[in-house]
Amino acid sequence: MKHKNRLFFVLLGVLLALALTLGACGSTPTEEEEPADVAVPAEEEAAPAEEEAAPVEEAAPAEEEAAPAEEEAAPAEEEAAPVEEEAAPVEETAADPNSLPRNETLYFNGQQWGSVVGWNPYSNSNNNAMAIAQQDNARVTMFETPYLYNMLDGQMYPLLADGAFAWNDARTEITFSINPAAHWNDGTPVTAEDVAYTWATHVKYNTPTAAGNIDYIENVVAVDAQTVLVQAKLNDEGAAVNPLIVEAFLSSNYVIQKAWTETLEARAGGDATALMADPAEDAAFSGPYYKYFADDTKVVMIRDDNYWGQDASMWGKLPVPKYLAHTIFKDNAAGTTALQAGEVDVSQQFNSNVQDLWLQDGLPISTYLPDAPYGIGASLPTAFFNLQSPGLDQLAVRKAIAMAVDYPTIIANAMTDQSATFDQVPRSLMNPTPGEQALYDQTAVADLQWVGNDIEGAKALLDEAGIVDSDGDGWREYNGEKLSYVATCPNGWSDWQAAIEVVAAAGAEIGIEITTNYPEWAVYQTVVTKSDAPLPEGYDIFMMWSDGAGPTQPWGRIRKLLSSEFIGMASNWNGNWGQYANADADALIQAIPNETDPAVLQEMYTELVRIYLSDIPSFTLMYRPQSFHTVNESVWTNFPYEGDGTNPPVPPLDLTDGWSIAGLYNLELVNP
Amino acid sequence: MKHLLQQISRSGKFVAGFSIFATILLIVLIYPLVVPDPPLEIIGQGTFFEPGIYVNVYDSISAPHYTLNLDEAAEQRIASRFKAEDREAMRGWLVGSGMPESEIDIANTAQLLDQWFANFDPTTRLPGMTNADRNYYIRLNNSIQGLLSTEAAVIAQMNAETAVLEETGTVPQTAYVNVNQVANVRVLPLGTDNFGRDVLTQLVRATGVSLQIGFVAGIIATVIGLALGLVSGYVGGLVDDVIMFITNLFIVIPSFVLLILISFSIGQEQRGAITIAVVIGFTSWVWTARAVRSQVISLRNRDHVNLSKLSGHSIAHIIIRDILPYIASYVIMALILQISSGILAEAGLSILGLGPKTTDVPTLGLMMNWAMIYQAHILGKWWAYFPIIVTIALIAFSMNLMNTGLDQVFNPALRD
Repeated sequence: MKHKNRLFFVLLGVLLALALTLGACGSTPTEEEEPADVAVPAEEEAAPAEEEAAPVEEAAPAEEEAAPAEEEAAPAEEEAAPVEEEAAPVEETAADPNSLPRNETLYFNGQQWGSVVGWNPYSNSNNNAMAIAQQDNARVTMFETPYLYNMLDGQMYPLLADGAFAWNDARTEITFSINPAAHWNDGTPVTAEDVAYTWATHVKYNTPTAAGNIDYIENVVAVDAQTVLVQAKLNDEGAAVNPLIVEAFLSSNYVIQKAWTETLEARAGGDATALMADPAEDAAFSGPYYKYFADDTKVVMIRDDNYWGQDASMWGKLPVPKYLAHTIFKDNAAGTTALQAGEVDVSQQFNSNVQDLWLQDGLPISTYLPDAPYGIGASLPTAFFNLQSPGLDQLAVRKAIAMAVDYPTIIANAMTDQSATFDQVPRSLMNPTPGEQALYDQTAVADLQWVGNDIEGAKALLDEAGIVDSDGDGWREYNGEKLSYVATCPNGWSDWQAAIEVVAAAGAEIGIEITTNYPEWAVYQTVVTKSDAPLPEGYDIFMMWSDGAGPTQPWGRIRKLLSSEFIGMASNWNGNWGQYANADADALIQAIPNETDPAVLQEMYTELVRIYLSDIPSFTLMYRPQSFHTVNESVWTNFPYEGDGTNPPVPPLDLTDGWSIAGLYNLELVNP
Repeated sequence: MKHLLQQISRSGKFVAGFSIFATILLIVLIYPLVVPDPPLEIIGQGTFFEPGIYVNVYDSISAPHYTLNLDEAAEQRIASRFKAEDREAMRGWLVGSGMPESEIDIANTAQLLDQWFANFDPTTRLPGMTNADRNYYIRLNNSIQGLLSTEAAVIAQMNAETAVLEETGTVPQTAYVNVNQVANVRVLPLGTDNFGRDVLTQLVRATGVSLQIGFVAGIIATVIGLALGLVSGYVGGLVDDVIMFITNLFIVIPSFVLLILISFSIGQEQRGAITIAVVIGFTSWVWTARAVRSQVISLRNRDHVNLSKLSGHSIAHIIIRDILPYIASYVIMALILQISSGILAEAGLSILGLGPKTTDVPTLGLMMNWAMIYQAHILGKWWAYFPIIVTIALIAFSMNLMNTGLDQVFNPALRD
């Protein structure tokens, strides 16, 4: 009897333990699904100090375990063979990835979180921030684009291409030629056929690149071995649907070798999922660096000394550091500590109070600008209103909240002054770069601006609209309903959280109750990016990002902030998350890409800013650099800084993205 | 009762612990009466202002000025803006730009500055000079402008009509104000935090909230543990088996892990301070239950209990009248430890970002959490985290002292 009792209890216990475990796990079902949705690696980096945020969780498959071992053998067997054959020459004996020669290695932080998944340029879930990021300022360390975008002067410079590209007169086709010097790491030349085949493969397997461009690009054709023709998709009038996106395609998408793609296709057996999931350790590349070592503690890339870019028609020499290394830090604090210790040369992360590093600690650390805001603001982290929340459909309420928010405190406290203020750069849809600021007429919209922290003005506005506190509880009512909202952003994104706190504080001052809530990113992202239904409760005022600097900007950013085309999508990673619809704005957004007259363009942009500032579907809380760019000059020097005399100017994008890669050729050792 | 109190008051450890605890409690109660500011109000525009007395500059211009002729004033003024290492660096630059080292005397401020202003060119890049160095020299050059000036500073006001600056007064270098006569002076004994909030005001309020959390959690844990322990120990048999089975189950699962899982699944929206306290209470009753049970088992066969049984008293009556008084001292000590560990558990949870939500009330753990997020510990902003650690340590220490003190009084084996 006694024994039976025991057995019964043991069973009961196992059940209880199971129930407890299941109960505790049950509330986070979205976490596992997340990798599929992370279609925006670019934004992730631009986003704030979101240490443990999204990228980390991208499914890291099992082949990683095998990878490092394989790789250590690799450099040795690829002996310095002449052209032809597999030839990535590594003359000297390969260094131990755990003790790289310091004066040949450039260390990064803030780019790579979690271990690398793959090296597949067709996929966008490689979680491989040192090698792959196809974005406005594409990362060109390993794979290369035909052109490089320079966010400082807005120009495109040839990389794989030879000379400038040319539109035909009807603006329906772009022609450019491939630099005859360009070759792959195996020595075979880069040809127009590679460019055409890359696009064909994207379309065939419906990769994210194809999905983003198929509505604008009809085809990419190899006219001869060197000449590429990019045909735009045409609308009913016979004009290109969107010439801006066609142009941007040239600087934001890699050229991938046809021969290797065919190998990959054979391996994947024609299956799109298998093709994109392939880790592609054998990918052919044309860029100056390739994989040397990767595990869950670090990623190291080594220079290809056979790189074609040392041809006089391109750089004329090899990039200076032999290794690019990125230790995978646990969080921003660990990254900052390493930067202080001189173990990191280039820091792409939010270092709060960065000026203390040189003012108080006296370290040889500097940023692109010597004083606040320390970097070039490029994107506009924005608070969106849920326009369906009761009361927030009223312009007066939206404007009153936007007017009452204390922006100087957000910029000084949340961003620790690493943003231009709205006194310096009045709010608009443009980022603070001079190029974009020149695109609209500041004086024409000056009367629509608000300064912030204007409590009396906000109160007067609400009183005037008849939105008053009628039952004396201290909170205003609209239609008999108390104005009470939840302001939110993802948990752990510290500067955004701090900004949301300031927004909430403003509400209390003007009689609108605003509480804060910080869901986990996994939950937040699925809610906010679902635009085929009204947003649920708890998402009345919420923060998301905007586009940064790029060849389609500011048009692309404006579209993503205002265009109603993003309403009604099951997964909307583009923008307009507050679901704002305005036919006039839509028409302007539609028309701008085909407009070439600068005067008309300025008028159109000014009109869009006017709509934005009068309707207030969302409001910008701060400016944010494209990438943070803090450098420690203990080992390397000659990093880009404002007025460094480079021509064209090298942008502060960590020496890996777009034209900033040119900075790698300028580096010098402090103690040679 | 009187005898008991006398006994307790003779225990040095208990008295020490109690006085620390009472002081903390008193500060928590009295401070808000003296400084009634809301603890979460953002007052500083900027992060981590150093502890000190902040005197309003605008008001000190209009406050009465006094002339004090102090000998070292000029020297101290120069020393604070132009340090020895700056002079050293200046020599480095001048030598690098080609000036013979013998001509430079870094002790001679006037001569050094003349040489500097005559030679310095921000666009020159000396060999081996980094951009950080260049920035430093430019900053240095700006900070020493007008260093040796003996002129008074001019105060001017913009004429609203003509938009011309009109001189309204001067401030000579010998002018002083009496801090007591300046309209706005704010003492920030512990500076501000990353949000620009007064750390001391916040710390006091947070201590109060954390004590509340500790009390609620401690009482819940003790009540549950006591009830289960009493029933299980006295009734025995199948009831004992079931209760002990559940208790053992909870012992096996680390309670902090359980705490993390529960807090996470509650979601931040629902996580108020009291909710967290309840969750902590419900996960930390286990050891109390076990300990009470073993005490009760040893008590239940005592004569007075048997007598009570024979007299036909109900189980509840026996437990409350004949058993509980004998273990009361133990329960009080357990309660004290539970309160202290409840406070620590909240701090632990909040540091992980699973504590109460940020806006409502400050807690010690939340303050630590934000200080860490904004890297106060890396940037050397000690006032944002160190006082909090000290407070947590003091509370835990005082409670443990009281516990040991009581133990000495109640435990015959330890009695002197």
